Amino acid sequence: MSAPRAPLSITLSVWKALFLREALARLFGHRAAWFWLLLEPAFHVAYLMVIFAIISVRSIGGIDTAVWLMIGLLAFFMFRHTGTQVMNAVSANKALFAYRQVKPVDTVLVRSALEGLVMTWVTMLFLLGAGLYGLEVVPADPLAVIEAFFAMWLMGMGFGLVTSVASELVPELGRVVNLIMMPLYMVSGVIVPLAIVPQPYRDWLLLNPLAHGLEAARLGFAPHYHAVPELSLAYLYACALVTIFLGLALHRRFAIRLSTQ
Amino acid sequence: MIVVDNVHKRYRTDHGPGPWVLQGVSFTIPAKLKVGLIGANGAGKSTLLRLIGGIDHPNIGRVERHCRVSWPMGFAGGLQGSLSGRHNAKFVCRIHGHERDIAERIAAIEAFAELGEAFDEPVKTYSTGMRSRLQFAMSLAFDFDVYISDEVTAAGDAAFRKKALTAFKELADRSGLIMVSHDEGTLKNFCATGIWIHDGQAVWFDRIDDALKAYRESRIT
Repeated sequence: MSAPRAPLSITLSVWKALFLREALARLFGHRAAWFWLLLEPAFHVAYLMVIFAIISVRSIGGIDTAVWLMIGLLAFFMFRHTGTQVMNAVSANKALFAYRQVKPVDTVLVRSALEGLVMTWVTMLFLLGAGLYGLEVVPADPLAVIEAFFAMWLMGMGFGLVTSVASELVPELGRVVNLIMMPLYMVSGVIVPLAIVPQPYRDWLLLNPLAHGLEAARLGFAPHYHAVPELSLAYLYACALVTIFLGLALHRRFAIRLSTQ
Repeated sequence: MIVVDNVHKRYRTDHGPGPWVLQGVSFTIPAKLKVGLIGANGAGKSTLLRLIGGIDHPNIGRVERHCRVSWPMGFAGGLQGSLSGRHNAKFVCRIHGHERDIAERIAAIEAFAELGEAFDEPVKTYSTGMRSRLQFAMSLAFDFDVYISDEVTAAGDAAFRKKALTAFKELADRSGLIMVSHDEGTLKNFCATGIWIHDGQAVWFDRIDDALKAYRESRIT
């Protein structure tokens, strides 16, 4: 009898195998799947630019409208893509639980990592493209920008961890999540600068942790940007860590229920 | 060695927990023993195999595996439709810790499955026969101490089935085997020992013939 492998080495080999497999499916699963990843933010920026051009808004909070829109969108997509991809990780990989080495939480963690990496590439390519077009896309404080995007990624991961379990227990929840994504886009300050919203409504909007991440990312690009005064990246990090913890606890609690029918 | 201790299992249904499928099943399977699981349809043979294979968990009791146990062969799942046969095979090699000799194992799987160019096509384009050939070839590529198989010898066309049977026989000669089959000939051919599953209980027979006899008699009365 050969000795069983150590649990850690099994998990590491499962993560590697899942990562390569997910990356293949994500980037080459459909015809030119990687192209659509780039097209989506480009499309959003383009039509919002048209709208802002019509109402003649050339700058928001002291920075160029195009840059303002682009950074907000990319930060928001970092959250949304991670969140929705991770939410579906368990149901998409059901077939693989036929191998007892693969646990539901593995698929979720691997997808978070992959989606974070994919969105980082999309963001960088996008900024490069905008830079070639002549926009000012070199961040004044790169570390602050990374800090804000990283927080958005963590928040997406926490959101996905929780919803991946919840949508298995209550299948209707997947639809509800898709429903709230659109209003979330509105209230997170992707289109409307939150700094112009009067009090007390602004405080209500700032309960949404995503709004803080978007503003922090913009402030990192241009220190002279007029961000909302109540901006607190620590709040976003706290929310992200709490949801990640909650999601991991849910995965621990419902591990057996997720991997079997 | 595989220890099954006081295992109870029932499934969740849309309206609460279902009836008990297994109620207090206990046995120990020593290494290198070839065991056939016998029982009527729905008696819990496949459930027991899934529990032994570790892809499902008992409600009460425990299953311990003290050796390398295969996944349930002949199992319908385990293939990702959008990826090619080659990528699926690579995935299985990787999760079983064969990163270093992956090329040789893939070559072996490719040769045995005889899928030709379809090996690089997405699995969702495969026919049922092609799928089971790939699955069978994958399960042959690893050295497990105990293989668990659910009607595995019924894969593919006549020619492939013959080849598969020969390969399966060789494999069974050097390792343990726990199998489910409705074909008495196959069971007698491969297994020395039998477990008869009846009314949620498992009865151990040292000789497969006695287990088959007990099963037949229960069907008559």
